[in-house]
Amino acid sequence: MIHRGEDVIIRTIARMLIPFIQLYALYVIMHGHYSPGGGFQGGVILGASLVLLLLTYGYHDARSRISEKIMIIFSSLGVLIYAGIGFLCLLLLGNFLDYSMLSRILHVDAAHARSLGILGVEIGVGFAVMAVMVSIFLDISTGGVLPGDEEEKEKQVPVSEV
Amino acid sequence: MEVTLLVQAADESFAILEKARVRAVDLMNTAAKLTSETRWMEEKKVRAIFRGAQETRAGLQNFAVTFVILFLFWALLSGKYDAFHLSLGVICCGIVAYLGHDLLFYNVRAGDMRVIAGRFLIYIPWLFYQIVLSNFHVARLVLSPKLPIDPKLMRYKTKLESDTSMVTLANSITLTPGTITIAIENGEFVVHALSRKVADDLNAGDMEDRIAHIFMEADHIYIQDVLDVARIFAALR
Repeated sequence: MIHRGEDVIIRTIARMLIPFIQLYALYVIMHGHYSPGGGFQGGVILGASLVLLLLTYGYHDARSRISEKIMIIFSSLGVLIYAGIGFLCLLLLGNFLDYSMLSRILHVDAAHARSLGILGVEIGVGFAVMAVMVSIFLDISTGGVLPGDEEEKEKQVPVSEV
Repeated sequence: MEVTLLVQAADESFAILEKARVRAVDLMNTAAKLTSETRWMEEKKVRAIFRGAQETRAGLQNFAVTFVILFLFWALLSGKYDAFHLSLGVICCGIVAYLGHDLLFYNVRAGDMRVIAGRFLIYIPWLFYQIVLSNFHVARLVLSPKLPIDPKLMRYKTKLESDTSMVTLANSITLTPGTITIAIENGEFVVHALSRKVADDLNAGDMEDRIAHIFMEADHIYIQDVLDVARIFAALR
């Protein structure tokens, strides 16, 4: 179980740094097709910022921001965006992830369509990596049983006995 | 016989008087309690209204200031100032500021932010000056052949209240050569000091006073409180 850190200095400095780390992660994702970086790297940085929040504030206090359900939704959403763009290209009579076909629905030239398509895929990869990173961290640190789950299981026991 | 009657009559009248007194006191107590209760409730209501307004305002202010700072950071990182990348920046900063507006500025009251920022900017040059001064001091200690150091751990009780101000003080102490903050335990700083002079400088509390002044803590007055009180007086008048 992750407990709230006791050190005031670390907690406060982490609190102030987290928005900047998150913005840097988003910058890495959004500029992945111009400069080093991309969806995976940005997603890892974004996940690391949430892990930092969890480590310094503990699961109970960080729960309103990071819940396992939201992480599951985000990881699926990321894969959906990636595969969705790929299949959209198939539907537009191109190859899988052949971004230039997107120019037909985006009304821009092929080069620009490639750029936008890559950006979309990067965003999907970033979401998926961030969510999977955080849920792996939550699973390892809690042994797979989150405090919220225990309460739900206790509630469900009488129903199954009946 | 007559005397006993007289005594009885006197006793009765005293009893009646006593009863009347008790009833009067009861009545007055109830009246006082009622007024104080209604007053307390009214005060509570007014305070709740003010606090709600304060919270909403503080939330909006935190969001706006966080957004501006993050957007400057984005502009610094991005280096691409065409409409597409700037709009991406606006979206990203909006998301991060919305999710983390209570992370960067926690428990900052609306209206105080500008004062705090201004005082903090004035504080930084002073801190640099102190750093230079104690740099010379430590350099002299190190270069003198006798090495007249007197290292010790000291506990330093602080009057600061919030996390932010305590961390500012801790980092200022660490930045100043000769002193290092090791831990903050229940509002008590554990500081390692290299010599008697730097320890005395810290104990004089100049730095702490300045930080209390920045964050309007301890014996300093909240600006927003004064403004609120002024408005209430204006309404009453």
